[in-house]
Amino acid sequence: MERHLILEDGTVFSGQGFGSLATTFGEIIFDTATSGYQETITNPIYDGQMIVFAMPVVGADGIHAEAYESINPKIRGVIVHDLAEVSTNRQRRMNLDRFLKQHNIPGIYEVDTRKLIRHLRETGSQKATIVDVVDDHARDQLQATVLTNKQVQNTATSKAYSNPGRGFHIIVIDFGLKNGILRVLGEYDANVTVLPYTTSVEEVLTLDPDGIILSTGPGNPEDLPESVLTLIHVLQTKVPMLGIGLGHELFALANNSELTTLPAEYHGMNHPIQEIISQEILYARQGRGYVVNPEQLDTKKLFVTHRDLVDNSIQGLRHREYPAFSVQFFPDGAPGPLEAKRIFADFFETVVDYVQKNN
Amino acid sequence: MYKKTTKNQHQRLLFLGAGETDFGMQGENDAAIYQVLPILEKQGYQLFLVDDNPYSLALESGQAQTIVATLTVQNVKAIIKEQQIDGVFPGFAGDRGLRLWQQVMAEWREEDGPRPVGLGIPDSTVDLMNDSAALFDRLSLSGLAMPQATIVRSQAEANELLRDLELPLLVRAHHPAQATTRKIVKRLDDFENAVDQVIEQSLTKEVVISKAINGLKEVSLLVLRDAAGNCLQIGASEDMDPVGIHTSDSLTVAPTLTISDQVLQEMRTQAFQVANLLNIQGPVHVQLALDEKTGRLYIIKVSPYLDYLSNRMALLTGYPVMLVAAQLATGRLIQEIELPDSYHEKTAMMEPVMDHIVVKLPVFSFGDLKASGVRVNRQLNSIQKSVGSALGFGRTFIEAMEKAIRAAHFNNRSFSPKYMKKLSDDEMIQQLIHPHDNRVLLLLEALRRGYEIDELAELTKIDGFYFYQLKQLLAIEAHILDGEPSRQLLNKAKSSGLSDGLLARFWDSDFQAIRELAKQAGVVPTYKALEPSAGEFPENAHQFFATFEEENESVPVSNKTILVIGPGAFRMGDGASAGYVTAVVLSELRALGYKTVIMNNNASDASLLPHLSDKQYLEPLEVSDVMSVVDQEQPEAIVVPGNRRKLIEALTALGQKVIVLPKEKHQPMGPEEGESEFALNIFYDGARAFPLVLTQHQSGEIRLIDQDESQVDLSGIRLPYSGVYQLIWREKTRKWLDQVRLPDFGSDTWLRPMPYGQIAFLSKILQLSLIRLVVRSWKGGLDEDDLDALVAHMPALRGADFAMVSNRTDFDLHLKPDQPVDSTRYEMGAKIMRLMED
Repeated sequence: MERHLILEDGTVFSGQGFGSLATTFGEIIFDTATSGYQETITNPIYDGQMIVFAMPVVGADGIHAEAYESINPKIRGVIVHDLAEVSTNRQRRMNLDRFLKQHNIPGIYEVDTRKLIRHLRETGSQKATIVDVVDDHARDQLQATVLTNKQVQNTATSKAYSNPGRGFHIIVIDFGLKNGILRVLGEYDANVTVLPYTTSVEEVLTLDPDGIILSTGPGNPEDLPESVLTLIHVLQTKVPMLGIGLGHELFALANNSELTTLPAEYHGMNHPIQEIISQEILYARQGRGYVVNPEQLDTKKLFVTHRDLVDNSIQGLRHREYPAFSVQFFPDGAPGPLEAKRIFADFFETVVDYVQKNN
Repeated sequence: MYKKTTKNQHQRLLFLGAGETDFGMQGENDAAIYQVLPILEKQGYQLFLVDDNPYSLALESGQAQTIVATLTVQNVKAIIKEQQIDGVFPGFAGDRGLRLWQQVMAEWREEDGPRPVGLGIPDSTVDLMNDSAALFDRLSLSGLAMPQATIVRSQAEANELLRDLELPLLVRAHHPAQATTRKIVKRLDDFENAVDQVIEQSLTKEVVISKAINGLKEVSLLVLRDAAGNCLQIGASEDMDPVGIHTSDSLTVAPTLTISDQVLQEMRTQAFQVANLLNIQGPVHVQLALDEKTGRLYIIKVSPYLDYLSNRMALLTGYPVMLVAAQLATGRLIQEIELPDSYHEKTAMMEPVMDHIVVKLPVFSFGDLKASGVRVNRQLNSIQKSVGSALGFGRTFIEAMEKAIRAAHFNNRSFSPKYMKKLSDDEMIQQLIHPHDNRVLLLLEALRRGYEIDELAELTKIDGFYFYQLKQLLAIEAHILDGEPSRQLLNKAKSSGLSDGLLARFWDSDFQAIRELAKQAGVVPTYKALEPSAGEFPENAHQFFATFEEENESVPVSNKTILVIGPGAFRMGDGASAGYVTAVVLSELRALGYKTVIMNNNASDASLLPHLSDKQYLEPLEVSDVMSVVDQEQPEAIVVPGNRRKLIEALTALGQKVIVLPKEKHQPMGPEEGESEFALNIFYDGARAFPLVLTQHQSGEIRLIDQDESQVDLSGIRLPYSGVYQLIWREKTRKWLDQVRLPDFGSDTWLRPMPYGQIAFLSKILQLSLIRLVVRSWKGGLDEDDLDALVAHMPALRGADFAMVSNRTDFDLHLKPDQPVDSTRYEMGAKIMRLMED
């Protein structure tokens, strides 16, 4: 069935509907990675957004159990050029079309996605809607729509839960956690407790963590309550801390630094990221609409550990006094290269240090 | 044009050429060397190249001192000493280069003076690459899985092994003398034979035997590594056919479609690990097998040098693999790479991402051989049988595949759908299990006959995805057959890669009518730029492919453009040197001030190199594809190879100005056994014929005759096109003659265009670029200087001590023909040899 994508700037793209045939609104962004569509679609950081895939054929690997980054995807729309049917392998019972239907997510295919991406590259991220008919009503609806800024509340857990292991006790503060982080913690046999971001400092410390991870998550970090920054501000002085993605942005904010909004978001995994101390280059999955503003970085508290060599953006920070650091990119891969997993090794080294000193 | 310059550690650098083309070596290495010479020259290096490949383009480059000499240890050593070479690039000559360089190192004596440094690959890795057992140990120790291998030295030892290992087994030569060949033994009866054959191919008379891992999914990764250990992935492609069918003989697709991100990242991690272990500065091609049942990965081949995948990935992604590889080898880090201005300034550091699909199809020569009465074994296995490959670019798998089929199939009789209908069900099942060259058509026919996807996937070990796609293609075809040519249907058909010609057949119409219908309906191609950022950055792209969407990114180059139609896939016979001819045509047109546009679909030769033309269209070469590009670019003239008669007729009928590059329609004929073919080679400038030189041709070898033929009267010759031709006659003699009695040219000889291979050879030996002269004659004859040059070479005839030899291709190994294949007619490659060296 023919459906249409209307952008906030009035541009219309047409294609065929798949997944849910509902009308949808969201912020439209594009992703240049050629693999990992299922991980991307299920990543909670995309709450409230629609993704255009540059990879023209999407769905050829089906849907499988190991590739969920969350059980209930929060993405608002999927825009592709060619939608593939799947194979019949035991691990691929579901196909992308059925999966999106099941989760009430609209998709549109046979779109000139390269034209759309070139357009978004110039005009920036913006609101968009997928509809059956392009008329004044649809356009007015789009203009009138105010997209939520409560993505973290919508996505993050409201109840504490544990993912037990026999190793270090790691607390994950959940802002819209993706499974990849838990998967890597599992490789370290960590004893994981996931806490809502509304947890108080006392509650966290009562659980006696060996390390704290500030998780990834969707949306603008500045929409979160001030209490989150206080929580980070206090905890970083007590326990080793690693911030990832949104967690990195919050870590910077908690340390008196500011962010800038990117005109066009970057979602992909092909930018070189340099570790400044070793000069080594690594590649990692990135998904960012905000970066730390280098002009407004509190260099008395923080220093830069990683940079994206393409746009020179800050990709990693470390606290000068405390065993606390953060990365803008996703060191757990899923999807994406695995060479950045060494960030977790660094974190666990810090944890070992801390545990040895405090026993 | 180039930004910064760092201090060069070594100054005088020697490229080892790759030598004659062969199965799996279609001139990629030569194209790579040709491409990197300008940038290295700008960076202040003194460059040298030694090669004996007559089709070489790099040997005619002005940016290096080029030396025509047989690629022997002795010659390479002599050149190194004489030219005071301090750095050698072995990897640009592929695995042959590594073998030659290892021998040079082994035979380097103290009295030879300081030995130059091998660039890009450490000495220890060169040794390791020629010792598969040691390589296996090294990789296994690092936790990488390779199929377990054992080395044996005799038939008896080999038989011992049979007690421990289950069939099928992979048998290959240790320290191979030539390119490695692998034999898969499935039946005990074949085992002794395989060991016997392979032991002969080993320099040390040793055989490596390992468990075959047939049926697994095969994936190829290309990564680059710099001196500091930074690695990046250039791309990955998957084979449709499983391990057990040579990757060159399988349909392959990039980017990978049926591999999950988790597995792909694990493959990437392993490929980086290999590059680090081998300490490479440059490209590493790693082939892996995936056991989908267990999730296990095996490394099946490691190629830490430039090979076909480097060139192909460069073309597929738009990432300048060769320009980066050469600089990495000289020691630059990935952040220090300099690129021409047409690239985004960060291109070298960014991993390329594709927003298009590319299908590679193998091109076989079985049909051509059959036409001359040679029957060969068409069953595909672990030994390469294809002689070339063609690429299809599109935005869906089907579109890319259909375009690849169209690019590969012209002149290939085995692709006839009629042939498929005649196949019995038994034959069909046999061929599903034991694949032949007509793979895709067979799979389509099986689906047509109602086989279930699951059973086909089980029989063929091909991922179900491909069958879903082929089924979709059949549905589209059925739709077209039942339907009327509406806008919607035309769009569906054309965006599925179907040509106007095919649609005309479906709708009982003709090509021109369909083309008009499509135009009226607004179904015209939109050309998409091929660039490495998948749209993230504006790049000044020059490469385009057609699809049918909304936005057309291609802007006509100029109002004074010449469109050059490329030769397509590498084929046996004089197709082997067609890339050379096309590249020289482009180079000369540019020298004359024309803007040039090339259409081609073959990644293996130099014709599509970005710096040779102003724009490249990666397209099939059928009439409808060419006419679409003509509509887009409005060229002043179109250069077409003379064997494309239908295309020439169609273009002429459509009012285009066509310049014909003379070429015979079929394989050039050669002398019979025991016979000599003599040729008076002539240059025809459009009005007059000039004698060039006399040659004698016996099976597998061509020599020049040192005889003055400048007085021959050619005034009667009138030809439609300027070019290089031969007046041919044959005599029953096996002796090489110093003098030959000239026949009556009017009655006792026949005339034909000179085969491309001989043009390339004579241009080098006479030191007169014949193709450049041909191009210069297109504007209405040659000028004084050129005429002088043409006449001047003759009294002081050069080159009578050189021969072109083409007898080294191992057809028995690859094709198992029922009779000897005449390597003169079906040359895969050739060598220039100095006769004293015999």
